Amino acid sequence: MPNALAGNYQSTVRKPDDFDAFWDAVLRQASGVALEPEVIPDPLRTSEDVEVFQVFYTSIDQVRVAAWYCRPARRAERTPAIMVLPGYQMDPPIPKEWARKGYVALSVAPRGKLRSNRQFNPGYPNLLTHNIVDRHTYAYRGFYVDTWRGIDFLLSRPEVDPARLGVTGSSQGGGLTITTAAMRSEVRAAAAGAPYLCGFTDAIELTHTYPYEEITDYLRLHPERRAAVEETLAYFDGICFADRIACPIIVNIGLQDNVCPPETGYALYGRVGAADKRLYPYDGHGHDAGRARHSAVVDQFFARHLLGREVSQ
Amino acid sequence: MIEPTPADIRAYWQETLAALAQYPARPEIELLPLRSTAFATLLGVRLTSLGPYRLFGYLSIPTGAGPFPAIYYPPKYQSVLEIIPQGTANLQRSRYVTFALAGRGQRHADSPYAAMFPGLLTEGIDHAAAYVFRGIVADSVRGLEYLVTRPEVDSARVVVAGNDLALITAALTPGATRVVTTPTLFYKTAALAPKTQAYPLEEINDYVRTYPERAAAVRRTLAYCDLLGFAPRVTAATTLLMAGAPGSLLDGGALQPLVAALRGPVTVYESQQSLYKDGLYAERWMAAQCDIADVQSILPEHWRD
Repeated sequence: MPNALAGNYQSTVRKPDDFDAFWDAVLRQASGVALEPEVIPDPLRTSEDVEVFQVFYTSIDQVRVAAWYCRPARRAERTPAIMVLPGYQMDPPIPKEWARKGYVALSVAPRGKLRSNRQFNPGYPNLLTHNIVDRHTYAYRGFYVDTWRGIDFLLSRPEVDPARLGVTGSSQGGGLTITTAAMRSEVRAAAAGAPYLCGFTDAIELTHTYPYEEITDYLRLHPERRAAVEETLAYFDGICFADRIACPIIVNIGLQDNVCPPETGYALYGRVGAADKRLYPYDGHGHDAGRARHSAVVDQFFARHLLGREVSQ
Repeated sequence: MIEPTPADIRAYWQETLAALAQYPARPEIELLPLRSTAFATLLGVRLTSLGPYRLFGYLSIPTGAGPFPAIYYPPKYQSVLEIIPQGTANLQRSRYVTFALAGRGQRHADSPYAAMFPGLLTEGIDHAAAYVFRGIVADSVRGLEYLVTRPEVDSARVVVAGNDLALITAALTPGATRVVTTPTLFYKTAALAPKTQAYPLEEINDYVRTYPERAAAVRRTLAYCDLLGFAPRVTAATTLLMAGAPGSLLDGGALQPLVAALRGPVTVYESQQSLYKDGLYAERWMAAQCDIADVQSILPEHWRD
């Protein structure tokens, strides 16, 4: 599809009537699980300016979730925090650079990722289609909750200012930023890059690259399950979460994105409920979604909303 | 500080290859119907490497009469093993044999050793003989050795595409006719790591900060892995060197000594900080090298003209 037409694309995603009821039930179940946080200093990764910790907490289904936690060595009594969410295949990074910018930072490894895969490990490829015919056991049900519980972890920390929480990520991290901003009203600012998990059923028609190709593979082998797959995915599609987002949000996409088609980024953005929202489309860019230029925009955005100051780009 | 190339670097790697040769690959091949299509069949391949250690790789064979050009993807610096790199058109598998290998510690090759990321880069780094990358290099060599035994592969058109391991592998074993390498881990590492705070090189900084008394040993080990020591031994017809963006730690200028050390023709491409532009350049380069005229048909939809 020519770039100029990507913004006119009509998504086929439809929000299920019982979408909110489904997720309310999931949240109720999750709220009954004690967080049981562990915060373990990591002297190998700690430096003069940044303290690094390995974190573990319990999520839905009693799955133990790992994360990296960084905080500036010199900080205010109450410091703004940013939760960093990982891409599909990437190993969650240690978010030292956010701590150097003055934030407490949590980088979550949802279930199945390295260090969070003892109880749940469908593998890669496979995560995207694990139990995809059943929304009650689909891989991303717990995966999403694991990231939302990261907000609970931050709220449990005395050094975190609960009124200044941000969330960010790119690719799958961008999709998880959307779902987290939608489901956790404590989030005050969100920056989503090249959002994955948005427009699943559109994407598998628009592109034939992994990871979305996992769904195409699955449907080729099991064509009779298409209806069940589409039914499940509608409950997990970021486009269906987007109208619940109320906090300021920025979204960046690449117009030559070969992984998450730009058409789905436009479709998502159109559904975002926040009044304070802005889309940054980058022509000449693929799945990087203009990261090299856009990182300054993200810095400025969070500085304004969380640090309460303007920074020059 | 740059450690000079160790005098015994050839012996170090010859001993590694000799030790690898003690273990036959003993391939086990399994059809993977979920990832097989009308245009390509996917196989799971298990191989024995140095240790002994059992590895895993994804081998994709195009439908039709071969032989076909091949792309070998040596182990990446991440836990996940991809069939083909994320974002590559699945139709790439219709024209090339592709073989992606998990080195020891990566998923599918993580028993008994599961690598941590970050963490792998410094595993055993203070003893050159025990450094984990000695084994991973052997794994990568074993993968290429196996690939070129496949009858579907046109031995005149074998691309090795990856990070530092692509160049190292092409230097240590025959079979690679083209190399696409993106130096990331092993180019003047001891000297460049202190200039960045970004992982993976930050792993070196973390390690040396925590164990300063081991700094000299770390530099010695890294010297055995430095690309400058391997470059003169690469016998591929030509190399595409993917450099960082201008001004970055590993930009074209920084890599000039490596260019000079390589024997054959070298094309240096400096990143334009666009996965689209960078990826498209590499895809077109490989297709041209492999005499694939209609590259458009195997590009991702959003990259086509």
